[in-house]
Amino acid sequence: VIQQSIFSGSERRGRWVRVRHAILGFELLAVAALGPTSWPSATAQTLSPARIPKLAHPAIMLKDESGQSVLKTGKPISTRQTCGGNCHDYDFIINSFHFQQGKNEIDRDLLASHEIASFNLSPGMFGKFSIIPNRQLTHPGITDPSDADMSQPEWLTKCGGCHTGGGISEYDLRGRRLLTTEARANGPMDLSYTIRDRDKGQVVPWDWEKSGIAEADCFLCHVPKASRGARKKEMAAGNFRWANDATLTDTAIVARQENGAFTYNRADFNADGTVKPEVLDLSDPTLENCSLCHGFTAKNTTTIQAIQHADIMRGTEKSGWIYNGAKISDTVSPNIVGKEKMNYPWDVHAAQGIICIDCHFSLNNPGRMLHEDPKKNLRYKPIGEDIAVYLKQPDHNFARGDIPPETVNLTRHNTMRGCADCHDAEKIHAFLPYKTRHFQALACQTCHIPAVHFWAYRSDDWGFLMDTGTSRITYRGIDGGIVDPESDVTGYLPAYIPTPDKNGKLQIRPTNLITGVYWFDKTKGRPVFTWQVQLAFFAGRPAEGEWTYRPEIVKAFGDKEGITDIPQAVYDTPEKIALVKGLLQKYAGVAEPELRIEVVPWAMSHSIVGKQQAIRECTACHAKRSILHRPVDLDSFLPQGVPVVFRGKKISVVNYEGKEPTFDNRLLLSSFYIIGYSRVPWVEWLGWLSVIGVILLSVVHGALRLMGGR
Amino acid sequence: MMNFPSPSYSLHERIWHWLQAGAILLLILTGLAIHYPDRLGLLGSMVNAIRCHSWIGLALIVNAFLGIFYHVTAEKYHHFLPRMDDFTDAAIRQARFYIYGIFKGEKHPLDADPRRRLNPLQKITYLALLNILLPFQIVTGLLMWGADRWPLLVDRIGGLWVLGPSHTMGAYLFLAFLIGHIYLATIGPTPWTLLRAMIAGQEKPDRDAEA
Repeated sequence: VIQQSIFSGSERRGRWVRVRHAILGFELLAVAALGPTSWPSATAQTLSPARIPKLAHPAIMLKDESGQSVLKTGKPISTRQTCGGNCHDYDFIINSFHFQQGKNEIDRDLLASHEIASFNLSPGMFGKFSIIPNRQLTHPGITDPSDADMSQPEWLTKCGGCHTGGGISEYDLRGRRLLTTEARANGPMDLSYTIRDRDKGQVVPWDWEKSGIAEADCFLCHVPKASRGARKKEMAAGNFRWANDATLTDTAIVARQENGAFTYNRADFNADGTVKPEVLDLSDPTLENCSLCHGFTAKNTTTIQAIQHADIMRGTEKSGWIYNGAKISDTVSPNIVGKEKMNYPWDVHAAQGIICIDCHFSLNNPGRMLHEDPKKNLRYKPIGEDIAVYLKQPDHNFARGDIPPETVNLTRHNTMRGCADCHDAEKIHAFLPYKTRHFQALACQTCHIPAVHFWAYRSDDWGFLMDTGTSRITYRGIDGGIVDPESDVTGYLPAYIPTPDKNGKLQIRPTNLITGVYWFDKTKGRPVFTWQVQLAFFAGRPAEGEWTYRPEIVKAFGDKEGITDIPQAVYDTPEKIALVKGLLQKYAGVAEPELRIEVVPWAMSHSIVGKQQAIRECTACHAKRSILHRPVDLDSFLPQGVPVVFRGKKISVVNYEGKEPTFDNRLLLSSFYIIGYSRVPWVEWLGWLSVIGVILLSVVHGALRLMGGR
Repeated sequence: MMNFPSPSYSLHERIWHWLQAGAILLLILTGLAIHYPDRLGLLGSMVNAIRCHSWIGLALIVNAFLGIFYHVTAEKYHHFLPRMDDFTDAAIRQARFYIYGIFKGEKHPLDADPRRRLNPLQKITYLALLNILLPFQIVTGLLMWGADRWPLLVDRIGGLWVLGPSHTMGAYLFLAFLIGHIYLATIGPTPWTLLRAMIAGQEKPDRDAEA
């Protein structure tokens, strides 16, 4: 501006350019003459990571659904108005898996194309059958109450603590926004507007006016102090309206009232009505945010506390992984058996400071996104998403892998940063022969998760219900109860199964095996609902959580004192299976019940160890006792005579040769020739027979020669 | 003394023979270490066994080609070619000798002729060994070695599930041959006569035998 005020025209600009060049030239000469010692110190000029100020989210005003400040109205926070509005594209965000959970993937053709059983409604958590709760979402269009299991409102009360609202708790199954004039039940069985009354056994209307709807809970992931526990409580109580407020409980900006409403703490607000930034500290999801739902993750902690409280963190429960930077040997609680020798981190990536979103990033985050290059001739594609576009429409379909049998978020499989995107495996495995072959056949986790040092589910038996009305669950890797801090956590050794890699080629990877026992309704082509199994087993429920067995059950499965528990309460004869089958037909109206056992593998990608602890010994796999075929215990009390099949394969995977039934993966791994382990029996027999035959012939021939003096 | 043919071996033949013998023996040993890595911990580790097996295999291939070159250029290949005019009768005579005559001190059916040092049974055995089993082992071994380099080719012919057992079967047959070969090397005038000939080149009269 000053230049333009003094000079004008190209002549004057040219003169200034020459002057500046002269000055620059003089400076360069001076610097060259004085040498590097006069250069500014790089270390002095560079800010250390600790000194670099974190990019702060602008102060926000918490608004209600009408766009007014909640401070003024006292109404629940509307994230549509608060986070959406002029800043983020709310509707774009909630049309992603974290908010839909499969609701937008209810498509028979999609299921069929991925070989997903038709009794599932969608491949996501909202719609698929899961053995662990033995529940499934009711299919739309039913007319018979006996076809109803879990409706949309019930799903929200059970699962809405983690699943963050938006699509699933804001819209009905036909895409109409709940509590609007066009949102109406399509008949008395519409699963978006009803719930099964388990006491009366009837399908009754759900009062959306009373519960309200839960918009996307942005706070659960973007407020470091988010409280899932408080949110879960409100969702479970059907108080959807205030669930997002409840998430902010630990920030102290809200306080719960006895009537279920929340009030706002004025001290946490600026004079202009915005929230003081340090109160919410809005940021990228931290390790702690992800850990609220997905599994135990922490930067560096010596207490694995949440699991001790039996809170739900499916990732850890299903396969026992712990994403923690602290050393196992430093663990204070729980009691990890043999930890003295485990002088290394729970997870080597956590110890390096890598957080969840480094690998499971937003797919259009220009700082993290992977660039697909169909021609495969670019190592890096400099053309990325504009940061402004990303901030407006951040893709909440986060990068993920693809490990069957998990089917969720089908359309985003294999989008995450894999091991090879950071590590140059060829360079760091100099000791390994046949690298390409090994890298093709083995997932990195196979060697880098040699053992699991935590407990995990072993079996979930819905074939026989306990007197609490629920399944019998067993765990592996722990001596004692999972909520008892005195229990010894012994950990377990994984089982190995083949799963397809990015290119569809089978790779061996470590898994935890969960054996599910459940009843299947062959006439309806779906698992028998839990309420139906309860009808078969119990005569009544005098109190919450206390069920009374039917006399037939007590007679067949009880001991002299009428106690129905292990070891007598097992299906050890066909007659006992037939008895319960009859009860299911008689009391629950299940025409053709069938007891099924399914082994489901849950793969693990965390609890990664570094090269010092990874498996390096060839004979670990290349030996008669290869770990790849190690026997893994399934469930001590598997029903007798019932086929034990592998999820999705329909092949038997049980070996009854030992004391207890074990997992037999020989058929699953039959396509892998493991030198030192794999044998073709007739080759071995014929080979050794030929060798031994020649030896015997030589010995006999030589002996005869000797006897003949020749 | 039985009348045995008197073999004589050129220096080239002896070097070639012992190199092949050593290579095959080492290949069998390292192969067993690979096949039974947990029970035969030779060379410290399976990796070392594989590396040794690969290098020795390469040496055997080179030596096999040198052998072909020598036998063709020195016109020694006729040692291995059966005479078709009398093959069946000669083979039967030789078999009878091994089964019966040798114990009775009968005369060896093969005339003592340096140009025909192999009997018909040896010829047919070596023909099969050098033209079928050895190439088979070389090809299957090379493909297994190249499984990392040419995975598509390996997969096309059935992958390691075809190559591994095939190579193993070949190895057992080689081991069986080796044992039989060593035993038959003892049926000369004395147990050491034929062995000495393969070391020294020419059979020397054995004092004991002469006595």
